[in-house]
Amino acid sequence: MEQLTVVALITLLAASAVELTALIPRVRAGYWLTAAAAVVALAVCAWLLADGGAVAFDLWSPAPSMRLEWRMDGLGALLGAVVALVALFASVFAVGYSHPRRVDDAVYPLFVLSMFGVAGAGNVFTFFTMWEAMALTSFLLVLGDGRSHTQQVASLLYLGMTHVATVLAVASLLLLADAAGSQEFQRMGLAQAGGSARTSLALSLALVGFGTKAGLVPLHIWLPRAHPVAPSHVSALMSAAMVATGIYGLVRVAFEFTGPGEEWWGIMLMAAGAVTAVLGVLYALMEKDMKRCLAYSTVENMGIVTIALGAALSFRAASLPGPAAAALLAAFVHLANHAVLKSLLFLGAGAVQHSAHSLDMDRLGGLLRALPLTGVAMLAGSLGLASVPPLNGFTGEWILARSLISLAGSGAGIATGLAAAGALALLALTAGLALACFVRLFGMTFLGLPRGGTADACHEPSRLMTVPVLGLAALAVAAGVGAAGLVRLLRGVPASLAGSPGADSGAAFHRVALSGGGSFSPVVVAIAVLALAAVPWLVLRALFGATRHSRGPVWATGGAFAPGMQYTATSLSKPVRLFFRRILLPEREIQVDYHGTSLLPRRVRYSGRVPATFEERVYAPLRSVAIFSARRIRALQNGSVEVYLLYIFVALLAMLVVAR
Amino acid sequence: MSAAAQAGLGAAQVAFVVLAAPLLQGFVRKLKARAQARSGPPLLQSYYDLFKLFARSEMRAETATAIQALAPWAVLGATLAAALFVPMFAAASPLGRDGDLLVVIGLFALGRAALTLGGIDSGSAFGQMGSSRELALGALVEPALLLSLASLALAAGTTRLDEIVAFGADRELGFIDLQWGLALVGLSIVTLAETGRIPVDNPDTHLELTMIHEAMLIEQSGRSLGVLHLSGMIKQLLLASLIANLFVPFGLHRDPELASYVGGGALLVVKVGVVGAALAAVESLFAKMRLYELPDLIGSASLVALVAMAITVWEL
Repeated sequence: MEQLTVVALITLLAASAVELTALIPRVRAGYWLTAAAAVVALAVCAWLLADGGAVAFDLWSPAPSMRLEWRMDGLGALLGAVVALVALFASVFAVGYSHPRRVDDAVYPLFVLSMFGVAGAGNVFTFFTMWEAMALTSFLLVLGDGRSHTQQVASLLYLGMTHVATVLAVASLLLLADAAGSQEFQRMGLAQAGGSARTSLALSLALVGFGTKAGLVPLHIWLPRAHPVAPSHVSALMSAAMVATGIYGLVRVAFEFTGPGEEWWGIMLMAAGAVTAVLGVLYALMEKDMKRCLAYSTVENMGIVTIALGAALSFRAASLPGPAAAALLAAFVHLANHAVLKSLLFLGAGAVQHSAHSLDMDRLGGLLRALPLTGVAMLAGSLGLASVPPLNGFTGEWILARSLISLAGSGAGIATGLAAAGALALLALTAGLALACFVRLFGMTFLGLPRGGTADACHEPSRLMTVPVLGLAALAVAAGVGAAGLVRLLRGVPASLAGSPGADSGAAFHRVALSGGGSFSPVVVAIAVLALAAVPWLVLRALFGATRHSRGPVWATGGAFAPGMQYTATSLSKPVRLFFRRILLPEREIQVDYHGTSLLPRRVRYSGRVPATFEERVYAPLRSVAIFSARRIRALQNGSVEVYLLYIFVALLAMLVVAR
Repeated sequence: MSAAAQAGLGAAQVAFVVLAAPLLQGFVRKLKARAQARSGPPLLQSYYDLFKLFARSEMRAETATAIQALAPWAVLGATLAAALFVPMFAAASPLGRDGDLLVVIGLFALGRAALTLGGIDSGSAFGQMGSSRELALGALVEPALLLSLASLALAAGTTRLDEIVAFGADRELGFIDLQWGLALVGLSIVTLAETGRIPVDNPDTHLELTMIHEAMLIEQSGRSLGVLHLSGMIKQLLLASLIANLFVPFGLHRDPELASYVGGGALLVVKVGVVGAALAAVESLFAKMRLYELPDLIGSASLVALVAMAITVWEL
């Protein structure tokens, strides 16, 4: 397995080199090599997940305290598998997504490499080397050619936020490494820090630091800006795989490096997750740009995963390892399923953009006729993210809802029980809103007639773009109906983190069961739905004969139907906007121009928007403070060498005094 | 339960909901007419309507894709599948081991997805208006439904609907407490919303300003329309059965003989009849609320159910 890992890493480096030097023009060799490396990496991770154990070797040691150490255990393999899976499909899609060769093409394999490296880091130094490489490569990919204002703003915002977050994450891991007396992840895991002020601080820092990467509200604002700007295959990697690295860091800190702790840890995570989930999906419903909508949906799903982590922490604090493992399993299952669904939808959005030259859901429509294959795949993905059974998005939420109900009934303390009940309520609200969000996304893009422009010129993109999208759709269905298999593959990781097997498949191979009452068999559900649709169809056909149908125009109260009569994405979500107006704070303005002094209106102009409340009310004041203080601090920089030498001397003295 | 008994019970439940759902609809309509001092349509009118629709040819919109034709069958499949997880004639359901209350809620969501996509498909503004409203209301209903059922699950210590019914049947009158009452209020409001009845929706009107469910069906005709009407009636019967058996589980057996299935079935008919009468009473006594006032009503259902959960947590 070591050799295979090294092969994967070297292939990724080679992929970058090939693109950088343009050795093989015409063929996108870099992307093909990345896909090949992803297959190898996927094999390694699948083997690790199925078998347990770890792959460990030293990469490079430039100095005694700076050892690049590779150690991929079950948890790392889980993240590695997510990264490799998304990279495989995204890379094939990228080959078909013809675009002029740029330096980005050489950065792309390095981005995959760094994410895989985060999963395989064996100590704090390696972890942050890879983490920083991931941040910089993805920054370059978001920046692109850097010509448009959107690219510049998005990439700089991302760069700034990710670095503030990295500082906090480093502080968190160093606090724990100091307590454990080692920077090696394996030793830090053995020395589990207990519930103390220092551990609480480390956990809180990790929540903010890693939570920024995962897009937790209110640290999410970079995500809907940065993810959609990049080309679709990069968006897929960022939104499906890179957010998972944030969750991964949080899990390492909260479950491996710290032991059972305070009651409020779990409540803090559940609250953060529930708020993130509801606000994420609400803002997703207000977006008319398809990729921004998907990015907000990522925020929602990371919220759901964080609720599961909080529930697991609460179970562990109450010394209930079995249910803790089950809640962790919910997080991992949802993370994996979300990765499949979100890469499917981002790649599908790429296909839509490729053929319709727009992502504006207020103008798109009727694409199902022009893009039947992409459309069917997107339907599967949309239903998956709407979390309806038997598709894969439902599995994780089923386990999570079960866990929250049993947490409320576990007697783990009144505060925890009430938090679990509240989280359950918000989880259900999130699921209902997600259904609205993805029916809207699919319906407004693929059904009806185009709301602006025409769909005539659109056609299915090249096979290299449709095959990955269809492959991911097949995977989404398979992972949904075969949820028991997925659970069996993933359950080793939460079992080893929580110290108890949390879920089993019951007596039957097709069933997902948690300890204590209630199990779920997606196979049986799928068969029941199909059979109970087919049997009545046959019965009615036998009794009343085959249906005949004729076609007629859409009924438009007697007038002629025109595409402009249709609802748009914005009007479809109007009831939600009004129901949640106290949270969304929508603004609208109606301007009427009159004919001279008469009362006859000449023109009525309407404009409305949902403000990005967090950016305007939280970040804008912070930004003003930062700019104001930067101006003041500039007084220190007066350009005189003597003064700078003085600063150095003072700083040195101060350090000596502190370090003594 | 043996596989044969499971299959038999499954067939019996599916046959029961398909055959009895139009009767419940007719019964409610008849009671409502009587309350308004009209004689109303015959009790069996819903069957006549369905037969008429099933035999007719269909008119589809030129702009519609296959989604419009497939949606009715998906809705029916999801609704009938949900019937297999609901305990009806006993404290047992055909597929109790393969799905719990969360799966029933999930299947309702699947039905809603198919229904709303069908409404959007043709491009008709009416269909899309209905879908828009249904999606927003559905998002509010989901927490109310889940919390109402979860507060019972919390007391019973299981999410399986058949085991919750068995738990209640064993406890007899001890099953009735404050949480029981609050959950009943929550589920009742959910039932009004999910069956498209006043004060949420008006099943008797085709006035575009007020309609939700009928608007989504506007481009459907013939057999497809019949299937969608039947699915709506089945969902109504399922929710009525849930209220009947979850809140009045007395006399239902866990592992019954054939005779006690029959007895449980007779009990169910009586209990569902009472629920239907309550639906007719609410429809006669109240006026339809404005769409934008509905969050208050459905939100209060969620809140009441949340209080029920909180009390149970407190007592544990």
